Amino acid sequence: MRKVLPKACLNFFCILVYIFLAAPIVVVLLSSLTTTEYIVFPPKGITLRWYAELINHPEFMQSFTLSIMVALGTSVISTIIGTMASIAVVRYEFRGKTAVTQLIGSPLLIPSVVFGVALLQFFSWIGLAASPVALVIGHFILTIPFVMRLVVASLVGFDRSIELAAKNLGAGRLRVFFQITLPVIKSGVIAGAIFAFITSFDDLTVALFIVSTDVVTLPVRIYTYMQYQYDPIITSVSSIMILLTVILMVVIERILGVGKVFSSKN
Amino acid sequence: MSYLCLENVVKTFNKTEVVKKMNLEIKKGELVSFLGPSGCGKTTTLNMIAGFLDVDGGSIVVDGKPVHLLPPNKREMGMVFQNYALFPHMTVFDNVAYGLKLRKVPKSEINQRVLEALEMVRLSGYEKRYPKELSGGQQQRVSLARALVIKPKVLLLDEPLSNLDAKLRQEMREEIVDIQKKVGITTIFVTHDQEEALAISDRIAVMYEGRIEQVDTPVAIYNHPQTDFVSRFIGEVNQIQGHVVETFSGNQCKVSFDGYHQVLSCPGTKDTLIDFYLRPEKIQIYQEHSEGLRVRVERKMFLGAKTRYILQLKDQQFIADISNTVLNPDQIIEGQDVLAVWNPEELLATKK
Amino acid sequence: MQAELEMNQEQDIQFKQMKKKKSKKRLDSWLLLLPALSIFLFFFLLPLVFLFITSFKNFDAATGIGHDWTLQNYAKFITDQFYLGVLWRTVKIALITTLAAVVISYPVAYQITKVRGRMKNYLTLLVLSPLLISMVIRCYGWVILLSNNGVVNNALMKLGLIDKPLTLLYTEFSVVIGMVHVLFPYMVLSIMGSLERIDPSIIRASQNLGAGPIRTFFSVILPLTLPGIFAGSVMVFSLAVSSFVTPAILGGPQVKVMSFLTYEQVSTILNWPFGSAIGFLLIFIATITIIIYSKLLTKSEKGVAIQ
Repeated sequence: MRKVLPKACLNFFCILVYIFLAAPIVVVLLSSLTTTEYIVFPPKGITLRWYAELINHPEFMQSFTLSIMVALGTSVISTIIGTMASIAVVRYEFRGKTAVTQLIGSPLLIPSVVFGVALLQFFSWIGLAASPVALVIGHFILTIPFVMRLVVASLVGFDRSIELAAKNLGAGRLRVFFQITLPVIKSGVIAGAIFAFITSFDDLTVALFIVSTDVVTLPVRIYTYMQYQYDPIITSVSSIMILLTVILMVVIERILGVGKVFSSKN
Repeated sequence: MSYLCLENVVKTFNKTEVVKKMNLEIKKGELVSFLGPSGCGKTTTLNMIAGFLDVDGGSIVVDGKPVHLLPPNKREMGMVFQNYALFPHMTVFDNVAYGLKLRKVPKSEINQRVLEALEMVRLSGYEKRYPKELSGGQQQRVSLARALVIKPKVLLLDEPLSNLDAKLRQEMREEIVDIQKKVGITTIFVTHDQEEALAISDRIAVMYEGRIEQVDTPVAIYNHPQTDFVSRFIGEVNQIQGHVVETFSGNQCKVSFDGYHQVLSCPGTKDTLIDFYLRPEKIQIYQEHSEGLRVRVERKMFLGAKTRYILQLKDQQFIADISNTVLNPDQIIEGQDVLAVWNPEELLATKK
Repeated sequence: MQAELEMNQEQDIQFKQMKKKKSKKRLDSWLLLLPALSIFLFFFLLPLVFLFITSFKNFDAATGIGHDWTLQNYAKFITDQFYLGVLWRTVKIALITTLAAVVISYPVAYQITKVRGRMKNYLTLLVLSPLLISMVIRCYGWVILLSNNGVVNNALMKLGLIDKPLTLLYTEFSVVIGMVHVLFPYMVLSIMGSLERIDPSIIRASQNLGAGPIRTFFSVILPLTLPGIFAGSVMVFSLAVSSFVTPAILGGPQVKVMSFLTYEQVSTILNWPFGSAIGFLLIFIATITIIIYSKLLTKSEKGVAIQ
């Protein structure tokens, strides 16, 4: 009895927390099915009309495509450049190493609003207009600390004698990297790429300052739309995004295993 | 004609010379051990031969060609690492085949040679396994197969047995020697385990503080150590001081060990003290004997085939290892006085 | 003789190449860093430096940024009750968020470290999943839940607890709820880390000495996880102080915080210098937190080491 009661309390409390965590997401998913003209929960009736309605809103589709392109670009560039920098930081000793690592980690300390404002001012001065490239640059800065943290973690535990073994068997430097090093640190690199993708795809704060009327990412589109409208179309767009995330996670789980992605995280 | 030749090889780290003008010649097919305590430069030397470290002076010649300026991937040397260094993302087959693929060997030949190599290390049937699914000994065998399959000019083994447990270590070392003799490959074996080195080597290079102290066959190293370090490092020794009481012609002199007089050949002068080394197993003890060094048995330790006696002479201790078939340990009581006796030829003179 | 001479020359050349190789190694590290560093200098450090300069310029209604140097922007903030109120609200919301996050994260972290195998993976994924789903969408979910005719109000009215809807949305309450939801995973991860580091034999030792499970928890487990709670708190606090999306959606202009103020000054009022000054004050607060944290951490680590 003495042991059971605290345990039951703990489990009950945790279930409440899980409900709290799931609530807003479940609410968004379910309200997208409502037949009413306004958002209501629980939904009245079930229909997919708000998904069909998206056809009349091509701007959401454009923003979605833009966001995907920007997130892909950010992910690829941030992962490549971040992996290079991680190798330099882990493998080489050079003067100013601490300064360099601190600089690259510092976006975590700078509120993204401030970075967004700074970037907007700078872009307008150098005449770089709102464009996918400008977004990728901003997102690169936001994501690279995460990428480097993950890649560095996988490089730190790396046994370098296997690289020597490959050299000894006749492999040159590039071959050693692509055939030995990269496959072994793969999970850290992929986790970095995924986090970069998600962070970029999710970013509202920095994008809010960089976008123009033609170049609008999906989070900005949703944010501005809901300032003025309260119809269920937002919930259907959001639901599609949630489902895509879930699918992405399932695919990653199949390829890598969740344990691997998150274990290399810490 | 030597096959692998180190000439005045030097390596410095942060201005300290860790390998000092090292010279060594190894014949084709020979197995030479680098033996020494940690920090003696043995692994550094091996890494210079493999090309992982640049030499800071001197040259390394293999089969008449200098190789010390070639990158490691052009040196054609097979290496077995202490921690095996198998590629964790490749199967056993792919690990062994890696070097052959780099050499653009045709596929059918790769297949055949990998299978042969695995058979040689008795791992047929393990081709599809991943390294983490193998035991330490099996991983070591894969590592050996991977190094040998490319038919390297020299095989380098970096403390290959140190991560295995005692029994497996003995088995593996026999297996390595078998394979080495079968293939007839020139081999360098780095180890800090003298028993291992004595057991498998054609010759041993004993290293200390970046120098080769002595290169010789195991028997010669053990019985005729050339330096103090080698005497102390190989096997166990007692240090014993004698007093020269008389000298004769031909470097003969009479030495007294606390009253135990022996005539032996050594370059001493009258009335000086000389230090000698004496191996524990060369000492016999008797309860009664015509002559000998009177000592007290402090402790005895039964070790199976032999017994170790700790002998006390004034403030000095000796150890004597005596086979139980020669002396029944029950006959000796701790605290009793005995006579320690040895053949004067077994005394190793120190070089001071 | 001739051959030997040639060989010597050849070696000489090779030695020179080797020297080159060494300096090349040093160059390698910089080449690997070059892309990251140049982007950082050009698109991160430089813009921030320019913005910092802007915060010391006067406001010009025509161009936004004037030409004169001034401390006016900072002075204006520090002397105006309204802005100080916003600062206080920002800090208050962040503090409450941090506290709430600790309280709800600890039991969850504790439970996850207790279970084993696949269940553990699933629970971890569940806890981390909010991180993967767009923050805008999650906040939007809270808008649906908390609005005047939203789920929570409807439920409360049906239960007869209230007659007319409570104002839940666009209040400090809704902002805290949203922030806890967004920042919860960071706290759980941090506490889980410290829970997992506890050597199980310590817990067995405590039980062996006669402590019950509750006593063991309060006298052994909780003190050992304090560094984790602490690290999580600093992370959550600094993220909460500077967060923008949650207060913008769930607080709006009614619940102004520092980040929203920055945004408003720059994009609506177009007072760039003042907006920049607010931004740098925000950076200042976040940095101070981290510095205090690392000072305290080194102290508490020593304490743990002594234990």
